[in-house]
Amino acid sequence: MKKYILLPVLAFFALAASAQDFDNDPTLKLENKEKEVKFTVGARFMADAALYHSDFTPLQSGASITDARIRTSMTYKNWYFYADFGFGGGKFAQKNIFAQWSDGTNAIKVGYYNDPAGSMARNTSLGSYHFISRPGSSNALGEGRELGISYKYNTERFQAYQGIFTENAYNKLESGFNGLTIAGRYIVRPIVDDNQTLHIGANVRFAHIGGGVTTNNVLKKTLYLGQSLETYVDEDDQFVSCELPWINNVFDAGAELLYHNEKFFLRGEYMYKHTTKKRDSNTLWEASNNNIDTWGSYDWWLAANPIRSDNFHGGYVEAGVMLFGNGYKYNSQEGLLGGLDGKAMEIVARYNYTSLNDINDGEYFAVGRNQYYPGGLMEDWPYASSSVGGGKINSFTLGLNYSFNRYVQVMVDYTYHRLQKDFLPYDKNFHVGQARLQFTF
Amino acid sequence: MFKKIVRIGLLSTLMLAAFASCEEEQQFTNENTDARRIDVAQLPANLAKVRDYVPLYAVAAHRGSIFWTPEETEASWRWAREMGADYLESDMQATKDGIVLANHDENVKRTTNIQSFFSDYVPAEIRKAFYRSFKNADGSQVFSEADIEAQYQRDVNDFRTYYTMSYYYAELLMLDSGEWFNRANDTREQGRSTYAATQLGRINDTNDGLIYSNGLYVSAIQDQIAFAEGKKLKRDANGVRILPYKIKDKYKGMTLKQIYESEKVTVKCDDPSVKYSYAAKYMDFVEYDFANAYVADEEDTGNRPGIYIEFKESWLNPKDMEVRVYNVLAECGWNIITKDPGEQPFYKGGKVNVGNTRGRVILQTFSFDALHRAYDVFKGQVPMCFLLWISDPPYATDIAYDTPTGYADFIRYGQDYGAHIIGPAISGAPNNYPEMNQPWQAYMIRKSGMLNHPYSFDSYAQMSKYMGYYTDYYGQGNTTMFDDVLQVTVPATPYTNFSGTKSVPVYLDGYFTNRSEISLRYMIENGFRCNANLPDPFHPGKKFDNSQAPSVVPDVDQTLNRLGYTK
Repeated sequence: MKKYILLPVLAFFALAASAQDFDNDPTLKLENKEKEVKFTVGARFMADAALYHSDFTPLQSGASITDARIRTSMTYKNWYFYADFGFGGGKFAQKNIFAQWSDGTNAIKVGYYNDPAGSMARNTSLGSYHFISRPGSSNALGEGRELGISYKYNTERFQAYQGIFTENAYNKLESGFNGLTIAGRYIVRPIVDDNQTLHIGANVRFAHIGGGVTTNNVLKKTLYLGQSLETYVDEDDQFVSCELPWINNVFDAGAELLYHNEKFFLRGEYMYKHTTKKRDSNTLWEASNNNIDTWGSYDWWLAANPIRSDNFHGGYVEAGVMLFGNGYKYNSQEGLLGGLDGKAMEIVARYNYTSLNDINDGEYFAVGRNQYYPGGLMEDWPYASSSVGGGKINSFTLGLNYSFNRYVQVMVDYTYHRLQKDFLPYDKNFHVGQARLQFTF
Repeated sequence: MFKKIVRIGLLSTLMLAAFASCEEEQQFTNENTDARRIDVAQLPANLAKVRDYVPLYAVAAHRGSIFWTPEETEASWRWAREMGADYLESDMQATKDGIVLANHDENVKRTTNIQSFFSDYVPAEIRKAFYRSFKNADGSQVFSEADIEAQYQRDVNDFRTYYTMSYYYAELLMLDSGEWFNRANDTREQGRSTYAATQLGRINDTNDGLIYSNGLYVSAIQDQIAFAEGKKLKRDANGVRILPYKIKDKYKGMTLKQIYESEKVTVKCDDPSVKYSYAAKYMDFVEYDFANAYVADEEDTGNRPGIYIEFKESWLNPKDMEVRVYNVLAECGWNIITKDPGEQPFYKGGKVNVGNTRGRVILQTFSFDALHRAYDVFKGQVPMCFLLWISDPPYATDIAYDTPTGYADFIRYGQDYGAHIIGPAISGAPNNYPEMNQPWQAYMIRKSGMLNHPYSFDSYAQMSKYMGYYTDYYGQGNTTMFDDVLQVTVPATPYTNFSGTKSVPVYLDGYFTNRSEISLRYMIENGFRCNANLPDPFHPGKKFDNSQAPSVVPDVDQTLNRLGYTK
């Protein structure tokens, strides 16, 4: 029922909003001052090369067009319309598309765009990022674009940005509906002047997962969390990932800090994710009672098929030093650090950790079954565990970025990852060297 | 200066890109390479000692034979013994009265006439007649009619159609375990009229006792041991098995209700501290006279195979199954822990002698629970094979990831719980099992110091594949990347089809076969049997001598006829 209320509201605002581009300023601008209309067209292209070295499981070193994107925008009085489309990987992809109305302090935004509480890193355009990849924790625990409506109140010292969204842009789920999310990001800025900013923020998010697949007349909703090794050439996420069946609600909370002056920036985030589960156990149990090897009682079945809430967390700290070029800039409307602007060179460093492990104490893990056992050893029946062993990773990155001008940038990163994942006992150390050539106009 | 840095940065980027496109070594997962890279747990010395109780290149007659005879019956095991198999293989289930059966399925629907004989419900008249058949000295019933009626209702509540756990052993002896085989093979050469009973079981009208059928029976583990010892079933003039039963001493004077409600605990016969309880539905108050159930088999030619017995689905059998088996083996004198046969040769005077050695019993299981309990009971002192299977989605006891890492995990787990042997499935018609004994897998097993007993062989092609020609059927002498541990140089014998020596990789140390005649012949002709100079891969520099094994494989048809199973 909720979707029938939400979608007409979205449709209304889609006809009457505006917003802003949170990437850098497009080059091609058409302006009709008489009609107060400004139209822009831009594009972005990223090509990466990466060299991997792992202890055991191989990654595919090589090169890849990791992003190719066309963007357009139109501004009319207080209205702003924006859309961009990706062609990276040889596939068309819907990216942002939204409209926003703003009077400078208040803004209403409708469409498909980044969740305000999706993390500071995920809200920062990759084209403005100071590393080749966002930190792994933001990819694993943060959120990306969602379809919805938001309201932002922004002053020099404070920003409150909250909205309501659906989980998916297209209601093409096999069963159920496409979910409902309420999210907000709140920032205070104790220091704001032309050369430096200190911002401290927090975000909260509640999502009810609505869609899934139906088996035996039971709706099974599954949440997948994962990150690559902070690279796009081989986006294999088997090292840090997990699948959470019977998901119901997701609670996210995060804290962020950002400081910059002209020659230096420091920013970091902590992310926490709590998931709740829901399952029609009785129907499943009854459906399993179809043969002579069936369960003796409902209680036995429940004991053998436990579900529980899960908790995951991660965080990162990033720092950069400008060697030469224009100083670091802060985008007050977005509450984000901008990218390099004009000819510049910087060195950057990052520490990231992600934990998708939520393991019950004392359980035995069988690699040959990729399964935890509550009894401390493998068992025939009942054997299921509620533990999640998605992996824990610590990552250290050192990077050098050089911007020839405002359009062309070269980035070089080296990352060392230290992995702890029960299913991959031989994969401990990863070395990732990668480089990027980026055009933006 | 900055320009220089930029140039260096650009150059580095280009070099990285070029280097990345040239890097090939780590672009894909290679199981062969990984199998060599990872650690494989080494069998500890105490388990290695027990491993050596088992002869190299052992031939285990899978269920006796499923090809030539009704499986796991007197016919199948007598035949396998006479053919010269080293082990009579079987699967263990339990009856309602706790008899350990040698029966593959957890039910007897496929291998008996139970559907037509008992239907799918508790056999009411037979069950009550069975209870009535227990008599006092004055001829009166031990159990009252009211007690019997009440117990029957409990039996109904505990009943699972066709499952062995739902029937008393005496009831199962009323069935025909041979006729189904003739029906299944009515257009092929294996069927033999003498497999079928001519008289089915019935109630004895004079004393309410049960009269057994006169054909092939659902076997008890005691039967299997007796056949290995060169015996056969004791039968009356009508061919009916003689196996009287009575109430066990500990249950005398108790009603059926009291028996049902009594404490159900089995204690290890030589260690009272090891005890396991079992469910009330198991009414093991019946004592069968197995001690007098057999006679010498006049057709026995002297082979003394061992037995290779499998603990099956742990959740379908009583939880005391392992200690129950321990005690049965001890009662039969086959438990090497309670009765050490000492150092004995595997082969003697051209006959199989495995049944008289410390390797006379090999345990096997897929079940984790059974593995743990068997370790608790047998302490790793009896050879144990940890069987491997894979399916999608994985079954409760499957290995789900048969990657080198997953395989190594199961090898280590097996060792942790007293296993000495790994038993992987092999591919090939007619079973078309998943392939779990690829060269890298055989390599890992060998590297661990455990024996490799794959299952089940049905053809000459399979035998040649896993004993020398895995990579190329026609490529005798092929090299493989695992030659350092799997290559065997076999010297010729008077029975081999080659002269001099032959070096081949061998991907097993013994196997389960449904075609003992083909397997034994292959072994002999290729020098793996009847050879005094086989290299011992577990003891470098030492030789394994099986030169005293039978060098002639009898004709299948003649052997069956000789044993009385004529067409």
